[in-house]
Amino acid sequence: MTPARENVPDNIERILFTEQQVSARIAEVAAEISEKYRGRDLKLIAVLKGSVFFLTALARAITIPVKIDFLAISSFGGPSQGPTPGLVRIAKDLDEPIHDEDVLLVEDIVDTGFTTRYLLQTLAGRGPQSLGICTLLDRSVRRIVQVPIDFRCFEIPDRFVVGCGLDHRQLYRNLGYIAVLDPERG
Amino acid sequence: MALLTISGDPASRWEEVAQAVAQLLDFELVTETRLAQWMTEEFGETPLPARVWAPAAVAVLARLAREHPLLIALDGAERLFRPAPWVMRARITTSDAHRVGKLMLDLRLEKSEALARLRELDAEQKRLRKARFKGVSADPESFDLTLSLTNMDAAQAAEVLAAAAAKRLDQQGLLSPNAADEIEFETRLELAKRGIVPAGRARVTRASFGHPSEEMFANLLDFYRIQWEYEPRSFPLQWDKNGGVTEAFTPDFYLPELDLYVEVTTMKQSLVTRKNRKVKMLRAIYPHINIQVFYQKDFQDLVFKYGLKMVHS
Repeated sequence: MTPARENVPDNIERILFTEQQVSARIAEVAAEISEKYRGRDLKLIAVLKGSVFFLTALARAITIPVKIDFLAISSFGGPSQGPTPGLVRIAKDLDEPIHDEDVLLVEDIVDTGFTTRYLLQTLAGRGPQSLGICTLLDRSVRRIVQVPIDFRCFEIPDRFVVGCGLDHRQLYRNLGYIAVLDPERG
Repeated sequence: MALLTISGDPASRWEEVAQAVAQLLDFELVTETRLAQWMTEEFGETPLPARVWAPAAVAVLARLAREHPLLIALDGAERLFRPAPWVMRARITTSDAHRVGKLMLDLRLEKSEALARLRELDAEQKRLRKARFKGVSADPESFDLTLSLTNMDAAQAAEVLAAAAAKRLDQQGLLSPNAADEIEFETRLELAKRGIVPAGRARVTRASFGHPSEEMFANLLDFYRIQWEYEPRSFPLQWDKNGGVTEAFTPDFYLPELDLYVEVTTMKQSLVTRKNRKVKMLRAIYPHINIQVFYQKDFQDLVFKYGLKMVHS
């Protein structure tokens, strides 16, 4: 069901995927993950903050037992970076080691591949049994660095999107749908 | 003059550490490609024999290091300069399992393919060392500091190395101009015996970006510790009947670790169309060259998301 226009923020240009479409697709992907990792110990690792909403929905739809953990990395141009962008770094590390575990990195969006590559390199260096990627959104038209994506919910066009954890200056993460944002609007 | 050399095993991510340390210390990063460009400026287009590569490299580097602190990120760099208070030589290692993992990720290879590729890279490194320095392996005593990335990530290693280098080079003092002259004299004498005379033409030039988009893209690559070179190569696209090049294309960036060229676009649609045409031609003429276009929309997202300042043109 599409929300009434009066309940949609003015900056939203259009809704790409409704809450129902998102839930249904996450359930499909969760079923694939449950099948692939059946009989194994799966750990879902989400990147704060954007992936939290997706991780929660995904974990609840997966039918095998899973562990979860979180990490956070500094943002390009983020408030702590000062006038120069500095270097990407782990701002919050995992609580537990991942050695010999089946790990699935849960991303809200993969576009250029820079962030995902950095995360994969970081996690691969910790000796997991396996390392996969599950992303809510894949904006592959912007890919610079190729990264192997095991599970994707939606391929999206070359537009700025918010909702389901994705933000614009920290806002709109809580929208249940995925929408194209026009910051000039509203 | 302050010199820091960093080298390591293939696929150990030592280049990534070097890139980050150069940024932390604000040293000029000397990569294989950059040194090759300087040596071409200095000695001409004809490749130098491998046996004089080391003194030729030292002749160029010793002169440039008078004006700029250098981080020399080259395989075998530790053998270029004798142990001295003004030079620090570091080595990055990691386990074979991690090196295989890196190749699997970067080159999208299966484990067996990555293992085979790693053996090829190790063999290539040995061949290069033998040709340039006669010895094939890195002597542990040739390094002041060795860091393993087996239980440390590249960012942590870069911080440790930068702190150690800053401390050592600061405490030990810099090379006197007389000592620099002596190094240059020794290497020039060795080259002169073989009839090679450095011309003194090589210069350290910081990338002068043609557009703010390019500078922001360079910042983005630095942020993710991805090595880059600015406009290192031109590709002829059209020729006249005499074989003269009538049209060429110089992609903005080359990312050596990914073997990837990147062209950055601007807001002007006419320029985007022209660049797209050239990228298409390049792909047709040079199918083995990997090139990606980074569109202005990608920057818009950064601007939208983080409120960065961006100059449009």
